[in-house]
Amino acid sequence: MSMAGSVRLVCSMALVATLVSAAAAQETERAATFAPARLQDGKTPDFRGIWQASSTAYVNIEGHAGEKGVPASASIVVDPADGKIPYRAEALARRDKNYNERATADPSVKCYQAGVPRATYLPTPLQILQSPGNFAIVYQENHAFRVFHPDTRPHFDNTDWWMGDTRYRWDGDTLIADVVALTDQLWFDQAGNYHSTGVHVVERYRMTGPDTLEYEARIEDPAVYTRPWTLRTVLRRVAERGARIIEDECLEDENGVRHHISPSNPKNLLETDYSRWKQELRKN
Amino acid sequence: MSVAQASRRCVLVAASVCALISGRLAAQPTPTESTPAQASPAASTAEIPRLPDGRPDLQGLWIKSAGGFQGLFIGSLDGTNFAAGGRAGGAGARGGPPPPPRYHYTPEAELEKQDRTKRGYEDPEARCHLPGVPRALDQPGGLYPVQIIQDERYVALLHEAMHDVRIIPTDNGKHPRNYWAWDGDSRGRWEGDTFVVDVSNFNGRTWLDMAGNFVDQNEHVLERFTLVDPNTILYEATVTDSTVFVESVEMRFTLKRVPAEQQILEYSCLEGERSLQHYTEEDGGKKPRAR
Repeated sequence: MSMAGSVRLVCSMALVATLVSAAAAQETERAATFAPARLQDGKTPDFRGIWQASSTAYVNIEGHAGEKGVPASASIVVDPADGKIPYRAEALARRDKNYNERATADPSVKCYQAGVPRATYLPTPLQILQSPGNFAIVYQENHAFRVFHPDTRPHFDNTDWWMGDTRYRWDGDTLIADVVALTDQLWFDQAGNYHSTGVHVVERYRMTGPDTLEYEARIEDPAVYTRPWTLRTVLRRVAERGARIIEDECLEDENGVRHHISPSNPKNLLETDYSRWKQELRKN
Repeated sequence: MSVAQASRRCVLVAASVCALISGRLAAQPTPTESTPAQASPAASTAEIPRLPDGRPDLQGLWIKSAGGFQGLFIGSLDGTNFAAGGRAGGAGARGGPPPPPRYHYTPEAELEKQDRTKRGYEDPEARCHLPGVPRALDQPGGLYPVQIIQDERYVALLHEAMHDVRIIPTDNGKHPRNYWAWDGDSRGRWEGDTFVVDVSNFNGRTWLDMAGNFVDQNEHVLERFTLVDPNTILYEATVTDSTVFVESVEMRFTLKRVPAEQQILEYSCLEGERSLQHYTEEDGGKKPRAR
């Protein structure tokens, strides 16, 4: 390549870089200034609606290659910058063991509630319920829910729950939630990433546009990680007409394996047959 | 169910529930055999909390205070039998809460009911399935509260028991087609100050209680939630099912406001299932059969 060509290439790369960073800056600015609608009290930001993650980070929050039916995803771990969870050496060994046994060991295979933050970026929607002074999230998956309590009262702690104990406050238009009391049987994803009962999660929910909700979770657990780390993703509004959280139940088959069943599958309608009792009555 | 959870709940609420019940017994009018419609409260509604749109504000944490729990003894420290209607030691006598519901089965359904009574271990709730309606609210008195969140478009019931959720739209919409669920499909509307819910589209799998009372796929429920005073919701349910009952089943009990210093706890069932450990192996449980 000639010198002139190289210069042109460098120049155009610099131009692209400038444009990209300008767009990013614009996006950041828009996000920072987006003012959500308000509840009836005219004050509380209105996050109500049905939301769903669009990435496939539920497979592996550190990122994964594409596979049949599941597109690839980049890491949603934004701190550390390398996108890797800063495990302690022995903890990393346990994660790898989890990964190898994931087909049966993943708690979601058993239809257990997903925990925090995993419930947020599942491939199923969630619904935020809100009124002045009340905030709750209903997750479609295994009909789990969390009632957010104001942080004016201390945590209900020293227990190990599947959805944790949540205290929240508003910081401007950002909802900040403090979550403890999570069981060590929970995973972050299908890849075996995990935490202990000592985990402390700080979530930040912020609308960056009328139909986008940015979600961030800072994870602190000194027994498992060398330093706190943060994941971030975006939920999008489910805007289909008549969208709803549908009932999600699991049925156990003859091998003791649980399967999600759909309320829209006619096979799950169990029609009771009384004919044997009619015969019984005729006999008597 | 989680025994630890249940006992923790008992410890947390026992004192307040006893207080509520004694207060309630004093305040309640004498119950009658009248239909729920006739018995609907005519109490002054001026002082109940309301939302900006004027609708009664049902929000808060509520717990069934007593009654209507399948005739089993659910006792408390002072000898109150919550199941029998909250009277010390026995059934709801004069001055007590309403009697348990009556079930009038078709002959075939009566045999089915008797059969299910013997197979209590098949109760889907013992296997952590959603209880259905009205069983979602007809939980043991004083044990599992329900958190209500409400806005101008829906009334949401978040039940501690079985972490059962019903987000009920208030626009009196139509039931969907091709949808069959444990909790059915709920469509709500306001009739004056009463929130009325029409529930249909059941999947035919739920029982009404642990004693084998049941419904099939033709179940239809009309529920009425009325805030009779700031701390009391009167809950009424009319259950019809043309293939099971010859007469509709009427249920009626109250939900009391849980003091603000308490919160809803977690109920994990599949995650720590223990009910089946109380059933022996031959009944499909986990307890070794007696030798």
